[in-house]
Amino acid sequence: MFGLVDCNNFYVSCERSFNPSLEGRPVVVLSNNDGCVIARSNEAKSVEIKMGTPYFQLKDTIKEHDVRVFSSNYTLYGDLSARVMATLGRFVDQVEIYSIDEAFLDFEGFAHLYPDLHQLALTLQSTVRQWTRIPVSIGMAPTKTLCKVANYFAKRQAENRGILLLDSPERISEILQEFPVSELWGVGSRYAALLRRNAIRTAAQFSNAPDDWINRTMTVNGLRLAYELRGVPCKMLETEFAPKKAICTSPSFGRLIPDLKTMSEALVTHLSRAAEKLRRQGSAAGTMTVFVHTNRFKRSANGQPARQYYNSRTIQLPHPTASTAELTGYALAALQSVYQFGYAYQKVGVILSGLVPIDHHQTHYFTKGPDERLAVLSATMDRLNHRFGRDKVRLASAGYDVTWHHRQQWMSPAYTTKWTDLLQVK
Amino acid sequence: MSHTDSFLPAKAQISTRHWIPFFHSFVQAGFPSPAENYIERVCDLNELCITNAEATYFVRATGDSMNGDRIEVGDVLVVDCSLEAREGRIVIVWLNGEHTVKRIHYQEENVILVPSNPRFSPIRVGPGDDFRVFGVVTYVLHKSS
Repeated sequence: MFGLVDCNNFYVSCERSFNPSLEGRPVVVLSNNDGCVIARSNEAKSVEIKMGTPYFQLKDTIKEHDVRVFSSNYTLYGDLSARVMATLGRFVDQVEIYSIDEAFLDFEGFAHLYPDLHQLALTLQSTVRQWTRIPVSIGMAPTKTLCKVANYFAKRQAENRGILLLDSPERISEILQEFPVSELWGVGSRYAALLRRNAIRTAAQFSNAPDDWINRTMTVNGLRLAYELRGVPCKMLETEFAPKKAICTSPSFGRLIPDLKTMSEALVTHLSRAAEKLRRQGSAAGTMTVFVHTNRFKRSANGQPARQYYNSRTIQLPHPTASTAELTGYALAALQSVYQFGYAYQKVGVILSGLVPIDHHQTHYFTKGPDERLAVLSATMDRLNHRFGRDKVRLASAGYDVTWHHRQQWMSPAYTTKWTDLLQVK
Repeated sequence: MSHTDSFLPAKAQISTRHWIPFFHSFVQAGFPSPAENYIERVCDLNELCITNAEATYFVRATGDSMNGDRIEVGDVLVVDCSLEAREGRIVIVWLNGEHTVKRIHYQEENVILVPSNPRFSPIRVGPGDDFRVFGVVTYVLHKSS
C-alpha cells in the first residue's frame, strides 16, 4: 500500500500556522512581486477568487469580503514543508517528496507495525497538525495513481475528514466511476480531448478499455496508467535525490525599467542565485539562455497596447562551469546582444541547462578546462553568504541599487529563519 | 571453489594460505599528540535544548508577565509543540487574537492561565474564548547582563 499526504492550501496554511486570526477568513497569497493570486483559502475560493487573478483586478472583492492578502514568504513555506516531510519520515522510512506540499509514503513492510492504516492516517494527520499546525489530506491505495484519486475525494467529500483509504477492489471500482478521466494524474488536456472523442469520460471507463487500444493511442505511459488504476503498481517511490535538469530564474521587476545598466545588475543578481543553486546540487552548466521581455498588458499613453518586444539568446559554453564570475561574462554579452533601446522591460531571466556533474570534465581540444581558482572563489563566496546573509559578497556588476527588486508589500515575518522575526508572546 | 568459477581463464587456485603477521604500529618520528584519541564533536546548544527539531520553534518574549519564572522581556523561549500541555507547565497559547506565555492549570473542566508576575491576574478561559495551545516552553535563553 502507498499513501499520498497533501497539505491543504499549503501557503495559506503556513500563514495561518503562526497567525490563527486568519482561520475562517478568506486569505490569498500573491506571486513574486505581488502580481497575481497563487494560493487561496477555501473561504477565498467561495467568494469566487480565481487562481492567477492579477491583484489589481481584485481590489473591490478584497474590500467587500475583508480578504487578507500576503506576499509569498517562501522561506517560511520552505521551512514548514521540511518540517512536515521530516515528521512523515518518523513513521515510515520511504518518503518521496513529490512537491513542496505533497509526499508519497510506502507502507510496504509496515503491515505488522500498522495493521490499521486508517488509524495510522489519523495519527499522521493529527501529528502534523500539532507539530506544524498544517492540515493535511491523506489518500491510501495500492498504487500511487489510486492514491491521487483517493486524495481527491479525501479533500472534497466532507464526510471523509481528509482521509480516504481505498483497500478493496469494490471500493476502487466504485470510486473510479465518479472520477473524471481528465483529472487523472498524467492526463493532459490533449489526451483528455482524445478520450472524450472516444466516449471515455470516467476513470473506470478508461481502466476497462482494451490494453492494445490504450497502447496504440496513448503509448506505454497510458497503459501504465491503466494498470495503476487496476491496482497494479507501475510507479515506485522516487526517494533518490534527482538533480534538476535545468535551473531558471526570472522574477519580474517591481517597476518597469528600461535602461541596460539596471537590467545588467538584475541579470547578474539572478544569475548569482542560479549559480548558487547549481553548486548546491553539485552541477555545472553547459548551456545558458538569457531572455528579456516587455509587459504584455502594458498600455501606452494613448490607450493603445504598448509596443512589445521579446528576445532571447542561447550560448553553448566552451566547457561546463558553475562559476558565477565566468557565467556572468557570458550572460552580460548575451544581454547586450538582445537588448533594444526604447522598450519598457518587465523581465530579464536566465536559464542554465545542459547540466552535468561538477566533477565531469570533458577534455577539449581548443579550450582549456575551467579555471580551478574560479571554483574556489565561488565556493568561498557561498560560504560567506551563508554565514553573513544573502548577497553580502557579490560581484560588483550585480550593483548596489535594489529598487528593481520585487515588491513585497504584505510579507509576513520569517518566523522560523530570522532571529528578528520570531513569533512574539506577551 | 564452486563450479561456476571453473570457466574463468587462468584463475589462481589458492589451496594453502600462509598467514603473515602484520605489525600495525607507527614509527615514532617526533612527539605524537596525546589528545589524538580524545577528539570528539564540540558541544552543540541545539543538542542540549532541542529533542524534537520538527516540532521546536523559537519564540520571543515581549512582556514581563512571567518574570517570576525568570522570563524577561527580550528572552528567547524554546518551544516544543509535540509535548502535551500538562498541569503546571509553562505554555505558549493563542488567546483571543494574540499569543501569550503563561503557566497552565486545569480546574475541573476549566483552563486557567496563571502569570508569575504578581502585577498580572490569572485568566480564566471561557467557552466563548478563541483558545488553542501552541506548545510547551522547554528552555529560556536569557542574556546575562
